[in-house]
Amino acid sequence: MKVIICGAGQVGWQIARQLSGEKNDVTIVDVNPDLVRRATESLDVQGVAGFASYPEVLAKAGARDADLIIAATYSDEVNMITCQVAHSVFGVTRKIARLRAQEYLKPAYADLYRENHLPIDVVISPEFEVAEAALQRLAAPATFDTEIFMNGKAQLLGLALSVDCPVLNTPLRQLDGLFPTLRAIVVGVRRDGRLFAPDANDQLYANDNAYIFVHSEDVNRALEIFGKKTKKQERLIIIGGGNVGLAVARALEARSDRVRVKIIEKSRERAEFAADALERTIVLNGDGMDLEILNEAAIDKADVLLAVTDDDKTNILAAVRAKQLGCPMAIALVNDPTLAPLMGPLDIDAYINPRATTVSSILRHIRHGKVRAIYSVGDGEAEMIEAQVLSTSPLSGRLVREVEFPEGVLVGAVMKGDKVVKPTGDLRIDAGDVIALFAMASDVAEVERLLQVSIDFF
Amino acid sequence: MIGRLQTLPLVVILMGIGGFASFLPGLHAFAMRDYNVGRAFLYAGAVMLFLTVMLAIVTQRQTVRQRQRGPLLALLLTYLILPLWLAIPFLGAAPDATLLQGWFEMVSALTTTGATLWPKATDLPLSAHLWRALVGWGGGAFILIAAAAILAPLNLGGNEVVSGRTIGQGGGLGSVASDPVRRFLLAATVVGPAYVGLTLILWAGLLIAGSSATQGLCVAMSTLATSGITCGQPIAANGAGRWGEGLVYLFLLVALSRRLLPGPAVTDRRAALWHDPELRLAAMILIFVPTALFARHWLGQLGEASADIVQPSMNAIWGVIFSTLSFLTTTGFVSADWPAAQAWSGLSTPGLVFLGLAILGGGVATTTGGVKLLRIYALTRHGQRELERIIHPNSVGGEGLAARRMRHEGAFFAWVFFMLFALSIAGLMLGLSLAGLDFQPALVLTIAALTTTGPLVAIATDAPMILAALTGPAQILSGAGMILGRIEILALIALFSLGEQRR
Repeated sequence: MKVIICGAGQVGWQIARQLSGEKNDVTIVDVNPDLVRRATESLDVQGVAGFASYPEVLAKAGARDADLIIAATYSDEVNMITCQVAHSVFGVTRKIARLRAQEYLKPAYADLYRENHLPIDVVISPEFEVAEAALQRLAAPATFDTEIFMNGKAQLLGLALSVDCPVLNTPLRQLDGLFPTLRAIVVGVRRDGRLFAPDANDQLYANDNAYIFVHSEDVNRALEIFGKKTKKQERLIIIGGGNVGLAVARALEARSDRVRVKIIEKSRERAEFAADALERTIVLNGDGMDLEILNEAAIDKADVLLAVTDDDKTNILAAVRAKQLGCPMAIALVNDPTLAPLMGPLDIDAYINPRATTVSSILRHIRHGKVRAIYSVGDGEAEMIEAQVLSTSPLSGRLVREVEFPEGVLVGAVMKGDKVVKPTGDLRIDAGDVIALFAMASDVAEVERLLQVSIDFF
Repeated sequence: MIGRLQTLPLVVILMGIGGFASFLPGLHAFAMRDYNVGRAFLYAGAVMLFLTVMLAIVTQRQTVRQRQRGPLLALLLTYLILPLWLAIPFLGAAPDATLLQGWFEMVSALTTTGATLWPKATDLPLSAHLWRALVGWGGGAFILIAAAAILAPLNLGGNEVVSGRTIGQGGGLGSVASDPVRRFLLAATVVGPAYVGLTLILWAGLLIAGSSATQGLCVAMSTLATSGITCGQPIAANGAGRWGEGLVYLFLLVALSRRLLPGPAVTDRRAALWHDPELRLAAMILIFVPTALFARHWLGQLGEASADIVQPSMNAIWGVIFSTLSFLTTTGFVSADWPAAQAWSGLSTPGLVFLGLAILGGGVATTTGGVKLLRIYALTRHGQRELERIIHPNSVGGEGLAARRMRHEGAFFAWVFFMLFALSIAGLMLGLSLAGLDFQPALVLTIAALTTTGPLVAIATDAPMILAALTGPAQILSGAGMILGRIEILALIALFSLGEQRR
């Protein structure tokens, strides 16, 4: 498939890396020749330097025979025009644009992005995606990673197991016997920094990070069994009143359970903007690293701290400071994936990587067709794939134990009709079922073969 | 028409209007076959017009064009000169009145205060009562127009609370660049028709309800002007009954916000009516105060065994509801049910509540007096915000730029105004005490004058005050207090401070 990616910023770069890794013909377009050169040197992509919305530049990038264009430059307007030009001049079939300004994203104007208006198939808002991710984290406080699958009927939880977890040192096959009604599967384990798909004889140890695929009705029970207490979070402090912080606060205000949110924002102007946009939320103007401000926000009585400023270091330090001041849980927004290993030693409970969330949401839209959702686990080491089983698939009509899954692949759950069932060896997979598979990155290609859905599907 | 008129000073134009106006009571007196009074009004009117024409010839194109001070000076001159001018026909119609009494009566009417030295209907000829009501009505129209054309462009008259800019410096609502007289006449063409129309509608309503023609007209004019001038009788007593009171209640609501009349409004016209800060605050007061007053009555009634409770209770409720709005808008009409309510409860008069209501006042840039709702609103919002800041000193208030400005600079100006108002109460009380009044009458008269709620003197104390018994200095002082309360102290300060800057 031929893909043009406009903008070689963080998101463009990541998508280019991901798609070129999947043997696609990727061309990167950016105004900055240095960035383009660096991209062509370090990634397996072609590069064109120039203004992305100029037809000339797009023609040079090969828009005439491109299948997909992803407009992710820093300017919303350029992204829009790029999609328009790609559509009107070159007839590119699929167009994805990243739009940041909230004004363009109001549901009231969603009609704008129609074929005969402004032809953008998928609008991605990074801030919105990050806010969604933050809300998911808040909903499952004891986890370090979570994602929703199967129309909200199943959830992937990442749990850091501590010494008091009751199911340590037990072979996984015995879990079924101990808790026969629990609809949960351990699909992945990270031990000493290495992620693997466990088999039935593997055991869990303290300090393991376990990925568990669980029916959404059983989430609390699963958390209990794996030694995590769920407590309602009532007091939340958000550091950073940018689009992310504001979106999270707005979503929490809209919820019926009264969560008390305080936002700490450094810029007076932005703080006033946030205060105008919110009703119950208290907006404090000051530095999130300032002890006095944190005390004013009653950090010692808060349940969660969410650090979502645009600066990684501020977020990490604010989270550490909050933990030290008695806040039981801290979540930090971290742009740089290489900082992720610091979270454990710094005692930060969870982190959100906006790049990963944006990339995974763009990838999800690219691999449409019968693949319904893809979540990238860790630093792209594995994927959770939700897909519909086609009648042509080798899976169709066979029992789970008859299918020869590769070693790094586990079935998380199967949805028959609208009922999510736990996979057992005797479960028959029928055409039309939705199946959730955990696959190590090296096995993704094999999974796609099994599902008979290739990336060239469209 | 406007083109020719705008070459004249404002005061001269108003003097001419006064001359024309005195023909109305004159013709009324002839219709009533009271020829002596009729002649007095007609002759006075003719003389006034003659003098006005001479003055107009002399002063035409002589207007001192001072961009900022000029209009304020004209406003002050109007209140200094016009009462004496308008007293000419009044003195003719009430031959036993002295010049001072005539001046007091006309100041009281022109400032829409409505305090009178002749409280009974029989004290004066009916046409003279009509003249008082007419002057009050004109005074109401004048302040409505002046608020839009003179005060608002200079950031006065409540506009300072919204804009948060320095008073008297321009940059307010509308432009200071154009000629003030021209602006005044233009504003008159905008607000005038609605003002006249509403008055006529209310008059017609009162006639249908059964009121007599003259008294209906008096009440209608006094309602729109919130002057509270009646022909010596309560509204219900002249035949209109409780229906009349209900109609008056509806038209008094107009005084709660300038938005309800056409022309430039201080508060945001685009926001929905129920989001208007003044109307919200007024609604709260109009619900809370009658509830509290009625509960107080009801508790007083509990002790006594009474057979029939429902009818007196309903009367008492209406009496309290009507009086609350009447005093909040600084009008001062008293419901016919009010004495009943009072007697029924067996408690002495809760007049202090009315003093408080009059101090709150109605909407900014309307005919009402007092501190005015918008300033009270700004102060409460400021207080609310300060309480939040005790808990979170660094917190940022929301609700948008306009609300933030009102809580900061707007509340500052409101506070300054409130303090000046309180100081002027103290000053005027001191003066009245020196003029020989006791503490309580001095307090009531001071507040009645400064809030332009004349009828307060009759209801706020146990024994109604007799204004006619006041000494000369006391009359002059309270008349000055009415002028001060009408044009607002901030405007006077702006006038003098602008004069200072000039030098």
